[in-house]
Amino acid sequence: MAYSELIKNFNRIRDYMREFYVYGFKNRDEYTQKSARSYDDERRRLESWLGDYMQFRQTPKGKNVFISVDSRMCSHNPLYNGWKAKSFTDGDITLHFIIFDILCDSEVSMTLGEIMERIDGYLSGFRMPRTYDESTVRKKLKEYVKEGIIEAEKKGRQLVYRRARTDCVLDKDTLDFFSEEAPCGVIGSFLLDKLDENEDHLAFKHHYITSAMDSEILCEIFAAMGEKRRIILENMNRHTGRVTDDHVVPLRVMVSVQNGRQYLMAYSIPFRRITSFRIDHLISVKPDKVEEHFEEMWAELERMLPHMWGVSTQGRPGRPMEHVEFTIRYGDNEPHIPRRLEREKRIGRVEHLDRNTSRFTADVYDASEMVPWIRTFICRIVSIHISDRELEEQFRDDIRAMYELYGLEGGETNDI
Amino acid sequence: MISGLCMSSMDWKAVRQMIFSELYSAYYNTVAAVLAAAVSHPLTDSELRRIVGKNAFGESALHILPALKEERWQLIRTDGTTPIRRRPDMPLTMLQRRWLKSIAMDPRIRLFGDLTFDFPEAAPLFRPEDILVFDKYSDGDPYEDETYIANFRLVLDAVRKKYPLHIEMASGKGELLAVRILPERLEYSEKDDKFRLTGKEGHYASTINLGRIISCRPSEEPGKYRREPGPAGQRGRQKRVVFELVDERNALERALMHFAHFRKQAERTADDRYRVTVYYDREDETEMVIRVLSFGPMVRVTEPRRFVGLIKQRLADQKSCGL
Repeated sequence: MAYSELIKNFNRIRDYMREFYVYGFKNRDEYTQKSARSYDDERRRLESWLGDYMQFRQTPKGKNVFISVDSRMCSHNPLYNGWKAKSFTDGDITLHFIIFDILCDSEVSMTLGEIMERIDGYLSGFRMPRTYDESTVRKKLKEYVKEGIIEAEKKGRQLVYRRARTDCVLDKDTLDFFSEEAPCGVIGSFLLDKLDENEDHLAFKHHYITSAMDSEILCEIFAAMGEKRRIILENMNRHTGRVTDDHVVPLRVMVSVQNGRQYLMAYSIPFRRITSFRIDHLISVKPDKVEEHFEEMWAELERMLPHMWGVSTQGRPGRPMEHVEFTIRYGDNEPHIPRRLEREKRIGRVEHLDRNTSRFTADVYDASEMVPWIRTFICRIVSIHISDRELEEQFRDDIRAMYELYGLEGGETNDI
Repeated sequence: MISGLCMSSMDWKAVRQMIFSELYSAYYNTVAAVLAAAVSHPLTDSELRRIVGKNAFGESALHILPALKEERWQLIRTDGTTPIRRRPDMPLTMLQRRWLKSIAMDPRIRLFGDLTFDFPEAAPLFRPEDILVFDKYSDGDPYEDETYIANFRLVLDAVRKKYPLHIEMASGKGELLAVRILPERLEYSEKDDKFRLTGKEGHYASTINLGRIISCRPSEEPGKYRREPGPAGQRGRQKRVVFELVDERNALERALMHFAHFRKQAERTADDRYRVTVYYDREDETEMVIRVLSFGPMVRVTEPRRFVGLIKQRLADQKSCGL
């Protein structure tokens, strides 16, 4: 089939986008899952959609392709462009503009027959006028009714069609903000495409753009949550490549603004407990029946939240909570340190023991989630206690390993 | 508490189709722009090329121009005229209306004005309780405070219309400060959950946390401000850090995702070892140091020497804590 920069299915390009954006160190030969031609086609599409954000680096093993974006420098998520590349037929696009020109405002309403008559008039000036049969136009109108852009109403025995009335003032700054910050922001980007203004007034710091690739999955999850419906997640283990079908009740989406990951918190039906699923690992979402006990499950998650540092939940019923406690010291000229502890503590408690010492404590399902944060206080940690002794020992070992790495233990800088 | 949409399961497939739809495609938007010009006058080939070049993707002209010229898309005749009579536009789709209803429930919407989205037929796509951002800092800006909202709106107006502001604010140490600034941009950090105003105080770049503004008004005093090229100008403020990473405990994925919002490069140096270069703003150096430290011994900074020194100093201080 001839190459086209438009695509029918987003999933394959989603994988390439993630590889090029998050990793970007593989060369062409390493993309073994797909054929070489597939790789070349997907790379070419991304080059066309993303322009200068696609970059190359020559290495001894070949050319590496990667997407490089400093999200602070661009006001609009460039990855949204992928969602604007859906393929269509020649007939689709022609009919689209003709239908909306015929149904030019919401006061104009016509039957299918009246629309058919007018379509021919639009096409008569072309060398080989295209012809549409009634079923094609009816199908298109039905599709647009489903999208909410056309309304159909029974008048007597006939169905009449008119364009939907959706008057509203769109403000560019509002859309600029929420298209970057709200879930499924790509929809805001679709709305921005309707505006003529170009000047940007907003910028974004610490802004993760990877969730753009998961917009469709997220949209489906929200639809199921709204209906309190069970779903079947087609879930890929990125390490083993194994795909499983997980039967769950979706409860809440949890978002990290410190690594850009999005998780679905869901009640696993076979395991009978609430657990988290990486949304970027989900391949598809299929609807199942409505869940009668949705409210109770939601309330159970609420009860668990005060003991979740991240998204890890209780491994098995009855397993004891892990206790974490550490103390830091700071100078008289460092009042920002206890403030930092307060604003970053999430679920824990902070006690200010004296003017130079503070202690953090928390009881959590999974203490290992806290370790990276505790390490950010390196240079001032005077004590640490974790009820999981193995984890505490690993923390101490890691600190010692860092001393060695930087030549503070034994003199020489060692390899990792 | 829980949302209750009226979508039947029969519509489920439509959900999937809705977000990835040609209705939102760059091609449809480009053809709409072509037709918007053609309804007023016959299009020349060069005008057609210019519109397509401006609105579509890099390679799109190779597909769109022949499709129109060869009349596969029967919308532009050979003489550059169109049978379309009016500037094309399309109503908002149900998906767009539902998304707007969702953002209308976010308290930050009021910062941008008293906007309403009157779509009684559309249920929100998601509700605030459907989402939890679990790791943002707890001292975010007070988005429902009327003074904050008024300040925000004035600052945004000054950014839009490019006029200077006189601002009274509290410094980090709680002292009262007065500054005159030519606003350039409003910058939002999702981690800090704060807005900052960036602009110029005289010849110098300046940043003001909106949450610290006590009062602001348009400045009547003329000032000399040097206009810098927007965010692209920030490239000159960039520094880089290079670190080696060993892929244990899933460190590779964690680090590359954690630093994903920066311009960066990663290369494999051995089976489980990688060299990663990250470019960051010089004002964020301390933040970068602690972010690197959070990866523990899986990451070792190799360049620049100064950054290595900052890490070593922290570790030496830690050693003195006796841990």
